[in-house]
Amino acid sequence: MNEGHNTTDQTQYLTFHIAGEEYAVGILRVKEIITYGTLTTVPQTPPSIRGVINLRGSVVPVVDLAVKFGLPTSPVTDRTCIVIVELNFGAEPTVMGIMADSVSEVVELFSDDILPAPPFGTHVNTDFLRGMGKAGAKFVLILDIDKVLSASDIINPVSLGAAQPGLVSGAGG
Amino acid sequence: MDIDFQAILKTYVAESEEHLVRMEESLIGLETYPEDQKFLEAIFRGAHTIKGNAAGLGFPKVSEFAHAFEELLQQLRNRVLPVTKETITLLLRSVDALRQMIPDAIAGAKEIGPEHQALLAQLINKNAAPAEKQRPPTPQDTKPSQQPVRRRREDFHALVERADTVRVDIQKLDRMLNLAGEIAVAHGRLRQALETPTHPIDEALEAHGQLERLSLDLQEQIMKARMVPVGPIFRQYIRTVRDVAQASGKVARLLIQGDDVEIDLSMVEKLKDPLTHMIRNALDHGIEAPEVRRTKGKDPCGSITLKALHDGASIVIELIDDGAGINRNLIAARVRSMGVVAEPEQLSDQELFNFIFEPGFSTAEKITDLSGRGVGMDVVRRNIETLRGTVGVASRPDNGTTITIRLPLTLAIIEGFGVGIGDETYVLPLHAVLECIELPAEERHNNSSRGVINLRGHPLPYIRLRDWFGLTSPRPARENIVVIEVGRVKAGLAVDMLYGARQTVIKPLGKRFQELSAIAGSAILGNGRVALILDVPGLMREVIRAHGELGGSENESQGFLTARNDGPTPVRYH
Repeated sequence: MNEGHNTTDQTQYLTFHIAGEEYAVGILRVKEIITYGTLTTVPQTPPSIRGVINLRGSVVPVVDLAVKFGLPTSPVTDRTCIVIVELNFGAEPTVMGIMADSVSEVVELFSDDILPAPPFGTHVNTDFLRGMGKAGAKFVLILDIDKVLSASDIINPVSLGAAQPGLVSGAGG
Repeated sequence: MDIDFQAILKTYVAESEEHLVRMEESLIGLETYPEDQKFLEAIFRGAHTIKGNAAGLGFPKVSEFAHAFEELLQQLRNRVLPVTKETITLLLRSVDALRQMIPDAIAGAKEIGPEHQALLAQLINKNAAPAEKQRPPTPQDTKPSQQPVRRRREDFHALVERADTVRVDIQKLDRMLNLAGEIAVAHGRLRQALETPTHPIDEALEAHGQLERLSLDLQEQIMKARMVPVGPIFRQYIRTVRDVAQASGKVARLLIQGDDVEIDLSMVEKLKDPLTHMIRNALDHGIEAPEVRRTKGKDPCGSITLKALHDGASIVIELIDDGAGINRNLIAARVRSMGVVAEPEQLSDQELFNFIFEPGFSTAEKITDLSGRGVGMDVVRRNIETLRGTVGVASRPDNGTTITIRLPLTLAIIEGFGVGIGDETYVLPLHAVLECIELPAEERHNNSSRGVINLRGHPLPYIRLRDWFGLTSPRPARENIVVIEVGRVKAGLAVDMLYGARQTVIKPLGKRFQELSAIAGSAILGNGRVALILDVPGLMREVIRAHGELGGSENESQGFLTARNDGPTPVRYH
């Protein structure tokens, strides 16, 4: 599960915001970050798949994790980004994009700083998390992107914390 | 497994498969011409190479098996044993066994399965050679844990399942490299012309024109590198014909024509199933039993011809049999009982025979009573349609049946027709588009997602693509209808804008979107955006199915088919 680091190692993570929460992905899995451009929606796909983009000649699907996690989607601003990540499922690596409201920073975490995710309280199904990273005073949710994105057609039941009425903007449909 | 070794194994598998196919082919040749030494030599060479390679890579069991195989061949070569049907069948079964054994050995199996063991014993018996090599498997050997072997075998299959490598002539590569270099130079020229404001615009245009030509050239070269000859694909069916004919008590041979015609590599895999189906059908229903053929004054050995040829911008593959042909009356009766057409007897042969490709037709209960080949032909058509091809059938009683498959030269580029809905652009394959008309004024107020318009006296059902795809953009005042035709069905798609025909390079959408039957792929537009390419047959099937589910009865959904005016015979569907 670890991306090749042992207990004394430190690993860099890219952190970004989705629906007010800060998430992290191991930096080795991030290919690039691009600004949000026009997406082509693909009909008959789950709402969490926002569409596809042209990434220098390859067609790359873009996933909105807010929809997937049952969180309110945020409006697109000029800070909205698409984080392009590389997944390992099956034999060939797959490239996908994750919508992020904004990208914040690269943090270095020792493996001691990564604590198991609590069984409830987070917005995200703990199966999708590698743990919670202690970055200074705050916690970031470290995503297991292979799991999150391979199960991208399944929309997860809204977890307890996300039950805030009146925030769903209706986008992504 | 380290990468180099894996690469070697991959080559070994590919080569072994080539040898096995050639051995099969020669074995069948040998069966027909037992005196011909060249077949024996060819089989011998193949077996020997497989044996040597297996030993070199550390697969002793495969090597042992191949050795026994070779020994038997030696006996045949020295005329110690005669070439009999039985021997040939044993050898063919051994080829099959080798085909399974090699992946198993690579996956880590140290022993061969019991049935292969038995086959080995048979080979050795036949050789009447001292059986010292045949050692009863010790319990220790026979329990290589099943689990890991199976798992790795799957990995392995993922490795070789698709023929995703191609050998390219080094000269072709050099030519591509040359072109790439020239393109770089042309880019420089264009840039220079653009950067100097005093330069006349002509120069930039000329540089641009040159760049365009070179790019097209390069594209063509790359396309060419993707092409492979059909010969090896066709030859695989020599074995199918032999086995199926034997199983059904018939005699038939496969003739191959045009084996040097090249097709796009990506089509090869998708052609295999349809061809197998068609050949089985030809043998099951087309070719008669030898005694029947004799009474008809035909050669008791039936012949099936697989033929490939170029025709304009398409590749044509024909499967011709000299069997009984399709029984028109039986098809007509079946069509009548299905209630699709009131007077099936009035239809032309062509129209009537095309019913064998209808899905409902083939799954009907009484299909075995039909001499026509209904079984699974809808699958054939569907597979060919995914290759953007068409399939047709012609038949004459007692003269046989010809099935014609037409395929585009390449799958990488299509002639597309762009349409717009709101901000989105969709591309339709041009061959599916018949014409475009403006949505009549009286239909503009129809807010439903579908309707029917009058197209020169014929009703044309249409759907609003915007609603079908659930797009939320507002509908413009004027809409257009693209008239499409799929098989015998004509229908309209209401869209906002018509952008016209354009050459479109297809980009795969990836596994994630494979399930979408209405979307064939994607293309990148001039402005860098992605446009989806519609799979028109898939879309139509979806629409018709949804219509049925929405409370329209079976008959009503057949009513969707009413709009047609493509033949001299007016046909009415209920």
